[in-house]
Amino acid sequence: MKIKGISLGYVTLFSLCIMSFLNYGAPVHSANEFKLKLGAKGQICLKCHEKFNETLKSRFVHPLLKKGECTGCHVPHTSSHKSLLNADRAKLCYNCHKEVLPENARSSHEVVVEGNCKTCHDSHGSNNKFILLKSGNELCFDCHKDMGADLRNVRFKHKSLENGKGCLNCHDPHSSAKSNFLLESRAPSLCLKCHQTNKVSFAKKHMNYPVTNSDCTSCHNPHGSNNRGIIFDVAHAAVTEGKCAECHEKPASLKTKQKTTQLCRGCHQDMVEQTFSKNRVHWPVVDKVGCVNCHDPHATKEQKLLKGSIVTVCGQCHADTVQLQEWSIKNPENKRLCEPVKRGNCIACHSPHGADNVLLIREQSITNDLCGRCHEWETHSTHPIGAKIIDNRNKNLTVECLTCHTACGTGNNPAMLTFSTTHELCIQCHVERIK
Amino acid sequence: MTKMINGSGKIILIMAELLVAVLFFQLPLSEGAMKFRYITSVYTDDKGLGLKQPEGVACSGESLLIVADSGNGRLLRYSYKDGATELGTVEIKVDQLSYPIKTEINSNGEIFILDRKLRSIVRLSPAGEFRGYLQPVGLPSPTAYVLRSFTIDRNDNIYILDILSERVLILNPEGKYVSQIKFPDEYGFFSDVAVDFRGAVLLIDGVGGMVFSAGKNSASFSPLTSSLKEYVRFSTSLTTDDRARIYLVDRNGGSIVILGQDGSFLSRQSGRGWKEGSLNYPAQMCINKKGEIFVADTNNSRVQIFLMVE
Repeated sequence: MKIKGISLGYVTLFSLCIMSFLNYGAPVHSANEFKLKLGAKGQICLKCHEKFNETLKSRFVHPLLKKGECTGCHVPHTSSHKSLLNADRAKLCYNCHKEVLPENARSSHEVVVEGNCKTCHDSHGSNNKFILLKSGNELCFDCHKDMGADLRNVRFKHKSLENGKGCLNCHDPHSSAKSNFLLESRAPSLCLKCHQTNKVSFAKKHMNYPVTNSDCTSCHNPHGSNNRGIIFDVAHAAVTEGKCAECHEKPASLKTKQKTTQLCRGCHQDMVEQTFSKNRVHWPVVDKVGCVNCHDPHATKEQKLLKGSIVTVCGQCHADTVQLQEWSIKNPENKRLCEPVKRGNCIACHSPHGADNVLLIREQSITNDLCGRCHEWETHSTHPIGAKIIDNRNKNLTVECLTCHTACGTGNNPAMLTFSTTHELCIQCHVERIK
Repeated sequence: MTKMINGSGKIILIMAELLVAVLFFQLPLSEGAMKFRYITSVYTDDKGLGLKQPEGVACSGESLLIVADSGNGRLLRYSYKDGATELGTVEIKVDQLSYPIKTEINSNGEIFILDRKLRSIVRLSPAGEFRGYLQPVGLPSPTAYVLRSFTIDRNDNIYILDILSERVLILNPEGKYVSQIKFPDEYGFFSDVAVDFRGAVLLIDGVGGMVFSAGKNSASFSPLTSSLKEYVRFSTSLTTDDRARIYLVDRNGGSIVILGQDGSFLSRQSGRGWKEGSLNYPAQMCINKKGEIFVADTNNSRVQIFLMVE
């Protein structure tokens, strides 16, 4: 039989394809694949799994459990997954809750990406909204302990942390399509949801500068701080004293009076001159961005107004070296790691603005003046070292700490040695031993 | 017989066409496996005083080698021939030069050196007499610049890498402004500039691990490569040869990475170490007319010499 020239067989085949396609994306619990009797999907389970009768009394219960459809997530007889789940735990929830992790999310909560939904939710039921394990910010602070401790101790807290949804006033717990840090949107649009910029008091507090479109977090700690106005704990004196005009032109614009390094030189003359007197200035100090490559001109939570921890700031450009440091820290065998390397304190050995020595090393004599500050190298038991000991491979070099050790970390080598075994290290110079 | 002649004729014709294509359109010649063969190292001047953390090398012709002996605040002029430096090394020390790093020689034999402390280019006569600091004339606004590096092309034009105003300034041999090429919008940090024989300007972004290029007379840079981090740890210097191949000096990785003129990876040579043939924080390299390669092996306080073997 043909309908306007199309075979009925083709129509049937096409319909079957469409139907199977539609069925493919359907939730797993929709099909009665086990051909269970009425009520056998869940109610029977509760006869043995009695504790879920209590769970059912919770204020918030997972809809499947509520409907008594245990087979939505579990297989009644056997499964390759723990708890007789019908899919890998990391993927199971996404069968129904795909929307929590959009494909092009700008930022995603690590536990969500890993599928560890149980870190925050009870999969069956709880007395907290969204079947969360705990209510309010305390759930977040279970993992983000430092943040919790900081906020308990600060003098001034951001009010939104204590009102309504707490952390969730600004952050999406799963992912954000628009912003980093799971923020619903970026500053200032996020901040402007609550803060009105057209008030006289707002203009007055900002010295009449047009900050409405500026990033609020360049001065304010969005969680809280010990400074009034929740300005970051480490603030440029000009900011805390309201002396914006020291650096910026008149309040009509936010334009700075000069380019960065020349501008900073106005107050930090001694430091800049000392830097420029060195053989080597760290190039970013004199590029277009200048000082603010590493420092925040307004306020931060790091000492010296750094944009992040020292290792983070250095790692912006020197990622390859920081990777060595990270590998060294992660290596459980590496028990004798140099303290500055362990702490990511690059500036213990390198001068970040400028130095007379290659690689901006602070001191000319590495052994005497740099390593020697912490290590009693003269009592080094195995090898003569120092400025008088010539390297037998190269008359232009002396035997220094760095002849055998690599200063920034070596990944898997013990004691930050350049080679993985002592034998391999020693034969670099003592060739006669292998002949 | 006629057929054979016709066949040979066709082959000759095809070969001639290929040669024309290679010569005039700079099609990449098939790149064999390229290797550096270590020849020798330069450790001292002729009085036996050792080099101290040299950061610059420049070659000219078949034998001239200038070394920026940075740690000793001087230049050394060598005559290099047949795997050895000949006697009569000349020490060039001028009061106006305090911390020499990158070094170049123009077609007249004039020596140009970047002084890292002053962030200026010092211009010396072929004999090493001070001729002045390079002062660009007629710069368009903004006139302020910070000189990170420079290079000189075959016509003696000078290319200045200006990291303050984010551009490459092109000056004529007298230092008069000719044109400029703005940096691209997105980049990490540019450390060095080079010009190949076709006039293409190249930049190395050590942070992003990428090479950018601007064709002759082009007003903008575009990426020539994607990230090369797989091959290069932190490159701070680059140069090209007479086939427009690109050589990246991997400072942290202690190696030289060779790219084709289209930016494709060809080979990685040497490696970090102290033995002859290894490099420890190399700074600059140059290639002479004979294809000999000179590398300022900074932290080994020597200059290493290689020959490219294909």
